[in-house]
Amino acid sequence: MPTTRAGIAAIALACLAWPGAAYTQSDSLGVGRKMLAEDNPGELWVERGKRVFAEPRGPKRASLEQCDFGLGPGKLEGAYAALPRYFSDTDKVQDLESRLVTCMVNLQGFKSEDLAKTAMGNLDQMSDMEALAAYIASRSNGMKMNVRLSHQKEYDLYKAGEYIFFRRNGPTDFACVTCHGDNGKRIRLQDLPNMMDPKQMQETVSTWPAYLGTQSNLRTMQWRLKICYWQMRLPDLPYLSDLSIAITSYLNYQGNGAVIQVPGVKR
Amino acid sequence: MRKSNWLAVSVSFAPMLVVAGCASFPDEATTRQQGEKLVSEAYSRTSPAFSGRVVQDESQRICSKIGAAKLSQQEAAEVVRLARASIKYPASGKLAGDWKVGAKLAYDGQGGRILGGKLETSKVNGGLCSNCHALDPKEFNVGNIGPSLTGYGAQRGNSEAVAKLTYERIYDGWAFAPCSNMPRLGANGHLTPEQITDLVAYLIDPQSPANRR
Repeated sequence: MPTTRAGIAAIALACLAWPGAAYTQSDSLGVGRKMLAEDNPGELWVERGKRVFAEPRGPKRASLEQCDFGLGPGKLEGAYAALPRYFSDTDKVQDLESRLVTCMVNLQGFKSEDLAKTAMGNLDQMSDMEALAAYIASRSNGMKMNVRLSHQKEYDLYKAGEYIFFRRNGPTDFACVTCHGDNGKRIRLQDLPNMMDPKQMQETVSTWPAYLGTQSNLRTMQWRLKICYWQMRLPDLPYLSDLSIAITSYLNYQGNGAVIQVPGVKR
Repeated sequence: MRKSNWLAVSVSFAPMLVVAGCASFPDEATTRQQGEKLVSEAYSRTSPAFSGRVVQDESQRICSKIGAAKLSQQEAAEVVRLARASIKYPASGKLAGDWKVGAKLAYDGQGGRILGGKLETSKVNGGLCSNCHALDPKEFNVGNIGPSLTGYGAQRGNSEAVAKLTYERIYDGWAFAPCSNMPRLGANGHLTPEQITDLVAYLIDPQSPANRR
């Protein structure tokens, strides 16, 4: 019996994600942000997100200040850097937006279908989700992307995301890698980051959510993936689907070590 | 004494138990199964008119190597065989159509996209060529995922053999370059055989802007 007990203890010890080196603030928090802040329209979304976050909203008239993004209720600093991650209350691996929806449903009483409908805004109707995502992600500015795999579901979803990245389908026979697997490639004049290159992967994942000039709007990775699927002639990638979170798990984990600077500014 | 024995035993067993008890990467077969499950779940409520697009055919399955790993000789041969078998020719038998129609098609990146569950309303699908290929040297809003096709016909001529090869490469390029980035535009039904003949003409006709000097 003691042997078994010691064995279990050994497993528990070895399986604990080792802490430390996690949220190094070497880049004296927010240097990048300061640089961008001068004329980055995305800051407007961050500011609005900060307001919306603290405001009592929804049928339950609650703020999001008790929302747990993985580091404890209300703790935002460094939370985005480790997303997607496994949450025991939902028993799911969640990205920033799916976690936000969990909180907006549980704490504030919103309906997830309604949230999905207005998640991607336009100039007539700004999206709270985009503003909140920008604000929460920005609270990891200057920190390094630090997605960990420790729960089995995190390993599984990461691997599934990698599988999807290379999975060709649809009338164009495209996978993610078709357009994002080589240096210096473009679709027409649009530059494409090479996601097989660790440095370009890092630059990409550390600058979403981003303000997009062509959209005159701030957009999130959920939006980016949806538009990729649209261009690939695939059916709509469902918002917050496990499929979309798997791809984000793969990308963000590959981008580990990159200093987060959001909102990025893109074409 | 007994206590330290237990300790010794548990320490020596610990690595084995750790291997058995820790979360880790699933194996390849499990990953495939889980990846496919994610896809089918994501599209479980998608209209059957579109959901078939995310189901892989045999060639796509072979061409989805993790890390873009090389195909075995056998796999490459199978993709080529399937591609060869897929190619259908226009009823007219004429493989070079109207280069002027082809010129429009080559720069048309529209058609076949789905947004909010609705298919794009364009009457015919565009050829998508300029998304990835340089063509007319005067047009510079072109991509570079595929090779430049500027002067394609000027270099190769416009013989019957060149027309046939060009037609087949557009219809299903995997017959020549298995698993290349080039979409199988004919085999997948994105373009009709007649549209492909117009693109062939655009590429090989000496009058075509793609061959202008």
